[in-house]
Order: sequence, then structure tokens, then C-alpha cells
Amino acid sequence: MNARGEALLWLTQRMSAAVLAFCVLVHLVTVIVAVQGGLSAAEILGRTRGNVAGLVFYTTFVMAAAVHAPIGLRATLGEWLGWRGASRDIALVLFAVLLAGLGLRAVAGVFGGAA
Amino acid sequence: MTVNGVARWTCRTHVDAVAKGGALEVAPLGHLPVIRDLVTDMAPFFDKWARARGQFQGARSRHDDFARIAPDDPQRRQVDAGIECIGCGVCYASCDLVSWNPAYLGPAALNRAWTLACDARDVATRERLRAVGGDAGCHACHTQMGCTERCPKKLSPTAGIAGLKRALARAALKGTL
Repeated sequence: MNARGEALLWLTQRMSAAVLAFCVLVHLVTVIVAVQGGLSAAEILGRTRGNVAGLVFYTTFVMAAAVHAPIGLRATLGEWLGWRGASRDIALVLFAVLLAGLGLRAVAGVFGGAA
Repeated sequence: MTVNGVARWTCRTHVDAVAKGGALEVAPLGHLPVIRDLVTDMAPFFDKWARARGQFQGARSRHDDFARIAPDDPQRRQVDAGIECIGCGVCYASCDLVSWNPAYLGPAALNRAWTLACDARDVATRERLRAVGGDAGCHACHTQMGCTERCPKKLSPTAGIAGLKRALARAALKGTL
């Protein structure tokens, strides 16, 4: 990949890291606060389903993770396995799509549907 | 050379500062081909300086006036330390990235590129940023800071590499790469 592509990948990873740092913090605080009194799965789903703010937040979270993880994995594959070049990048694009797909499916399951 | 497993500027290192239990093990500098005994071939190290476009390229001739750079010029001050590199190769031997990615330019070559990128007289910044931005360039650095920890001149190649990353990001966004 050329210098511009590498620079943009680096920038994308830093930006997605900033989004993830915020999302992880909000997620952990929410979980800790929400379960203080004890919650069943049905009670959690009762609160989350149809919650638009939650849907937007966790969709952002999933997309940031789907962008961030493959870029980091790209360096790991190059250094540990010596796997570089177009085949690695194609495999990682597919990995990003897989992460996004699985994550969005989970988000749809938790936040989709009527309240 | 490597002294008790650590790359050092050997001719300026006192034995009593590094000897463990009265024992001293010396070995050639790491990550470089060994010619014989403790002698390494430094050619791959300096070849990478050339690949990182470590050559100054000015636009003035001897007929022009001197370039005037103020001592407190912010761009110049960024490389006050970096220009003191002595090219000893200690940072290169201390960098794990060099062993993981043999094509990686290494801290010293990137530090040199950074000092030139901050040199207002140099006119090859665009080509230099292209040269240091590839898969084996500054973006490969994990900021483990082995180079900065071991540099005998107390320089921070890590800071220069971070500067190159920022400069590349700006150039990529502006479309000037």
C-alpha cells in the first residue's frame, strides 16, 4: 500500500480508537449502574427494545470496532506471519464485514422491535 | 556492541556501570550481519537512511544569501535533539520491529527523515514523506520506545516517528502526498 493509504489507515485507526474509548466507558458505566438492583434478561430486553438512542449508540460502537480491529490485525499478521500484500487486505476487509455483520445482528436483536 | 545482552555505545560505557556480578559478555550489535567477531556490517543500516531520503536537498546555490532560521523557530526547535544523532546503530539494534519486519527503516533513519522534514531549507519533503510512509516506514512503529530508552545520546527517535505520522496524516488529508 502507498504512503497515502497507510497514512489514512493510521488516521482511521486513531479516530476509531477515540470513538471506542468513549463507547467502552459509557457501556461499562451503563452496565454497572443498570445491574445494581439485579436484572433478568427479560427486564433488560424490555428496556432496550425500541430504544433509538441505544440503537444509534451501539451501532456506532460496532462500526468503530469493525473498523479498528482489522487495521490492528493487519500489522499483527504482517509481523507474526509475514502475511502482507493484497491477499491480506482482502481477507481483512472480509473480516471487517463479518465483524460488522455479527455486531449489527446483535444490536438488532437487543434494540430492534417494539418497546 | 551488545554488552550483557543490551546494545550500547561501548567506547563510552564504563564497565562498572554494566558488569553484573563481575561478569561481562560482549557480542556484536544486533539486527546486523556479522562480518567477524564483534564487527558488524553497517551497510544495511545506512542503506535505510538513503531509502528514507536522508539526504538534504536544498534549492539555493552558493550565489544565494544564507537561509535565515531564527534560533527560536518552532519547527527548528522540534529537532534540536534529533540532529545530534551519531549514527551508532544502538536504537536499530534495540528495536523489536526490525526483527519482526526486516524491511522496516528503523528509528535512526526515521529520525534523520524527521530532522529534514523540519528543515525549512529542504525542498524534498513530499518525496521524503512518501518514502517513510509505507508498510516498512513510520506507521510500522508500535511506540514501544526501545530506541528512546537505549539511545546513548538521550534522543527520542520515537518522538520524531510520531512527528512523521502527524505530518503524513496532514499531507494525506490535504492530498499533497
